[in-house]
Amino acid sequence: MASSVRLYLTCIRNTLEAAMCLQNFPCQEVERHNKPEVEMKTSPELLLNSVVICRNEAEKCLIETSINSLRISLKVKQADELENILTKKFLRFLSMRAEAFQVLRRKPVQGYDISFLITNYHCEEMQKHKLIDFIVQFMEDIDKEISELKLSMNTRGRLVATEFLKQFI
Amino acid sequence: MILLQSHSRYLLQILTNRVQNIDKGVELDCHWVEFDDVRYHIQASIKNPHLLHLSVSLPTPPPETVFSSGLPIGAIEAIKAAYGTVVHILDPPRDGFNLTVKLNLSKLPPNEENKQGLLVKIASVREVVMGAPLRVILKRLASRSVPSNAGMLVPLVHRPNESFFLIPQFEKATVVFPMRFSDSIDTVLATSFLQELVEARRTAGLNNAPTCLWSSSPPNELKDAPEQALSANAGFVSFVISPRHVEGKKLDKTVWNLSTFHAYVNYHVKCSEGFMHTRMRRRVESLIQALDRAKLDDNANIAAQSKSFKRLSIDASRGNSH
Repeated sequence: MASSVRLYLTCIRNTLEAAMCLQNFPCQEVERHNKPEVEMKTSPELLLNSVVICRNEAEKCLIETSINSLRISLKVKQADELENILTKKFLRFLSMRAEAFQVLRRKPVQGYDISFLITNYHCEEMQKHKLIDFIVQFMEDIDKEISELKLSMNTRGRLVATEFLKQFI
Repeated sequence: MILLQSHSRYLLQILTNRVQNIDKGVELDCHWVEFDDVRYHIQASIKNPHLLHLSVSLPTPPPETVFSSGLPIGAIEAIKAAYGTVVHILDPPRDGFNLTVKLNLSKLPPNEENKQGLLVKIASVREVVMGAPLRVILKRLASRSVPSNAGMLVPLVHRPNESFFLIPQFEKATVVFPMRFSDSIDTVLATSFLQELVEARRTAGLNNAPTCLWSSSPPNELKDAPEQALSANAGFVSFVISPRHVEGKKLDKTVWNLSTFHAYVNYHVKCSEGFMHTRMRRRVESLIQALDRAKLDDNANIAAQSKSFKRLSIDASRGNSH
């Protein structure tokens, strides 16, 4: 199981390394505008083929690339309703703090749980390989956090239930 | 605090304070609200410092619950039995309240320990009033007599416009809680808690605890219940209480635990949400640090580069001049 995660993450890392070659590119339609082309999708010649990396049905990653920007969308596994709620809550919490993360998109792309938008400016400000490290660490952390949250929720539920039932003995 | 305490802490504080400083009796007029929409109002004047007026308002009862003159059945007898001469019930109660009593602090027992005990008991007025009908039935169960209303559904109010159900039978009583939560996240968390409750009952140490069951659809016992009581988004929990759970001193505890079961679950659901938020905040911080690492290093490199670039340019110009 653990090795399959590593393969998944390595594949994403390699794809990102290949995809993250962004350059400054002003908008072709409007003068003095500089927009992430992957979001605008105004001219098809600036877009590259998008890549979907799947670990299984529930976990996948969509990487869309254009000349000056890159969009990464993640779908996190949600085995049951509790995990679903925890994931939703946690990712909403992160999206609301997108300002602090810079590369995080405020809204996920449809069908995914969370999205990143990386532009050529981010690549100029930050080191490319560290940015990729960050994305991979982010994915690892989300999985870890959600399973830990679920575990602590169950432990708490058990403790609360035991305390309540002890009252009757 | 894992369990909810039966006395209202604030009320106890006011009472203790009042008893200790009875000579310096000050004007007092206080309103406050507790969980499940129980409201309190306490009033005292300078003229009679040992007299206090305490009013309690209970959650609005749903149509299926029987109330006699604004109070659950048996509440007046329960108050009289619990407090004796210290408490005098005023009729009618203050506007907007279900019960108003006059407390006479000069009639408190002189013994310090008994006095404190009675004050705690007065502070738990909510337990006495709201738990009264439940206590009557469970007491009959403890004496192992055949209940007159065996197999009948007894609805008891526990939250505004919501009730839980009690089915007294010979040698046991089944308590069914329809669990409702207003928030979808609360519902999911509560459902997982309730399932843990059933799991926890199976562990060795809790063999003597009441049997509990959880189901998403109304259990058989509720087939006579009114339609609006059967919509519960977090399922139904039933406890089977046997005489050994209500013997002697355990009666009070059981009554309190059952009548505040929903509040107990809700309280822990909210606590875990708070805990989740603390964790998430910490995680966000660590992730932002990870992102900053990508940035800071870069800045340092640029600074280093620009320095070396200047030096190099001087060197280079010298080199060129040679």
